[in-house]
Amino acid sequence: MFPNNWCKWTPVALSADVPAGTVIPAWTPTGDVALWRSQSGQLSASSDRCPHRGMRLSHGFVRGEALACIYHGWSYGRDGACLRIPAHPDLQPPASINTRNQITTEREGIVWVVNEAQDEPPPSFDGYWPLRSMTFQASIAALEAAAGAKADISGLIRCTLGGETAFLLAVTKGEAETIVHVLADKNASLAQRIAISQAGEQLRRDAESADALEGAN
Amino acid sequence: MKLYDYILSPSCYKVRLLAALTGTQLTLRPVDFHPGGEHLSPALLALNPAGSIPILEDGELVLTESSAMLVYIAAKAAPEWLGSGDPAESAQIQQWLSFSHRLTASLGGARLVEMLLRPGDLAALQASGVKALRELEAALAVQRMKGDIFLTGSKPTVADIACFPYVALAPDGSIALDPYPSIRLWLRAVRALDGFIEMPGIHRLHELKPEPAKETA
Amino acid sequence: MSDPMIDEWYPVALFSKLDAAGRDTLLMGHPIHVARTGSERVAATEADGRSLPVRIRYGHVWTSLGEPKKELFDIPEADEPGRRLVDVGVVRVRCSPLRAVENFLDIAHFPFVHTDILGAEPHTEVEKYDVEIREKEDEVWATKVKFFQPQAAKSAAGGITTDYMYRVPAPTCSVLYKTCPPRPGEWDVITLFVQPLTEELCDVWPWMALYDDEADMTDLIHFQQMIFLQDRSILENQIPRRLPLDPGMEIPTRADMTSVAYRRWLKRHNYTYGAQLVAQ
Ligand code: FES
Ligand SMILES: [Fe+2]
Repeated sequence: MFPNNWCKWTPVALSADVPAGTVIPAWTPTGDVALWRSQSGQLSASSDRCPHRGMRLSHGFVRGEALACIYHGWSYGRDGACLRIPAHPDLQPPASINTRNQITTEREGIVWVVNEAQDEPPPSFDGYWPLRSMTFQASIAALEAAAGAKADISGLIRCTLGGETAFLLAVTKGEAETIVHVLADKNASLAQRIAISQAGEQLRRDAESADALEGAN
Repeated sequence: MKLYDYILSPSCYKVRLLAALTGTQLTLRPVDFHPGGEHLSPALLALNPAGSIPILEDGELVLTESSAMLVYIAAKAAPEWLGSGDPAESAQIQQWLSFSHRLTASLGGARLVEMLLRPGDLAALQASGVKALRELEAALAVQRMKGDIFLTGSKPTVADIACFPYVALAPDGSIALDPYPSIRLWLRAVRALDGFIEMPGIHRLHELKPEPAKETA
Repeated sequence: MSDPMIDEWYPVALFSKLDAAGRDTLLMGHPIHVARTGSERVAATEADGRSLPVRIRYGHVWTSLGEPKKELFDIPEADEPGRRLVDVGVVRVRCSPLRAVENFLDIAHFPFVHTDILGAEPHTEVEKYDVEIREKEDEVWATKVKFFQPQAAKSAAGGITTDYMYRVPAPTCSVLYKTCPPRPGEWDVITLFVQPLTEELCDVWPWMALYDDEADMTDLIHFQQMIFLQDRSILENQIPRRLPLDPGMEIPTRADMTSVAYRRWLKRHNYTYGAQLVAQ
């Protein structure tokens, strides 16, 4: 699972799920983030709470190179600094107003976030490319049991889904909630990718019912 | 055409939305659903013994199911919203129209309990709502693998309009949309359509308008 | 419970919709039952059978878990002849009752949350207005509030600069006075009455007393429901859920003077049901 002793980065989303000019909610061990991509394609991970009145910034909107809050429209730049307060158009916002951004990077279609600078980049997965992200209402242990495989030392779960090899990047969100990014061979055909995606649904049903049984004991 | 309408009803909104997208004129007749319970008044029961809204009247024609209203408006004003006529596509559109009733029952049911204090088993409604959302997410993930964004292809149809409102308003029934990246992009694609109108609970995509220029005093 | 908010009056039902079967509900975490006992009579009881004081006023039934030291606040305009009294109906919101009131006192969000209705870009500036805590009445007041509105009310066509006055007469209630397009010089009255179910859950009962002879009653109800439902998705997504009363956790500007005064007034009275006192 991620992050772990070797990899402090958390995989939070797929690059394709946050196109230019959008913001999405994401989760890291150091807090919820509003993950957003500016019009020019730059990614940022702001704390998901507007410093003004606490509104979730992931409900906001991206205009140009800034993230704006949906409540009163305060906007923030890539460094987290407040750029504009619409109620006071002539005011230069004080530098102390900041969304405390984390560090983001993208590698092979996956967005990774970390809260302090790292020497090592996040891992590469050797010809495997992300297919989709799913949320399981199940523990990592239940996921591993359902997948019939345990995470290796790097944190990766290799298993077979729909007859194909798939990699799972699992992030523990809570005791019984796990975010799973499913990776498939880069050269997999459309039919193979659909088969893996559907098998992912079954994997989730299996993992969740395993946890439910456990709860009943 | 006269629509018996309630501003907070996602089913009424479907009809208003498609009318706006196709340039169809509607005469709105507001119904005091909450708190008045006017949909159960003798006058409205005479029109629709089921006691539900919306109701669409056009001359002699009286329609009481929102999916039928969508099909009627599309057939009259903009047949492209019914798809290309390909048998498989037509059947899929019908399938999503039927699916939309599951969304109404589950997500819509949870919303009525949580928001307007109607009786109901909230946990059960939420559980069936999550099941439906997962089904939708899986289907949209496959659409994206094929390079499409809407439910049955690259163009929106009545299927998208039938499913959009209850999904977009799922959080009103305390059902989070955070775990569904493909649903989020699909909702966004619908909201970005030319002529799109909002209903309460669905915010404007402010980024579609440029940031106002700073006025110089 | 030592919270002084226990001695306040709270709305617990719409009088016109209350029947003999009544309504089971919560008040500050306590289950209560409210039912009609006669054409102008209502009873409110706690789970142990203890009967609670009752008032029927402004379209709603009011009660209190404690011993109110003051009579229910007065809205003199409510009794003026010629006003249409509008029961807007209940809406439940997963938020602190204090956050619901604070949002009602805020105009800076109009262009972003009530887009093209109560506000619109580029008219986002909030000009300076007056705020005071009126000691004699013990109420928070904001006056000389002005904001540009593309559609000020159902009966307003086109944009105007609208004048507002805000008043907080009780910790979970607010009264808004607003320019009345059909009768220049008069004020429309729009209220937000909040029933605290728990510290993080409330039933909100908007109510209005308007000078408007034209509009259909249902249109008036729907307009106000539309406005409040636009706020609901904001209120359910503020973090933390409870209203931070200590400075530092949130950053106000001059546009938030009413909210700052409201928070100060709550703190002064120790009105902390639904508040967060220590950061984190
Ligand atoms: S809460 Fe974000 S701008 Fe006010
Ligand atoms: Fe508002």
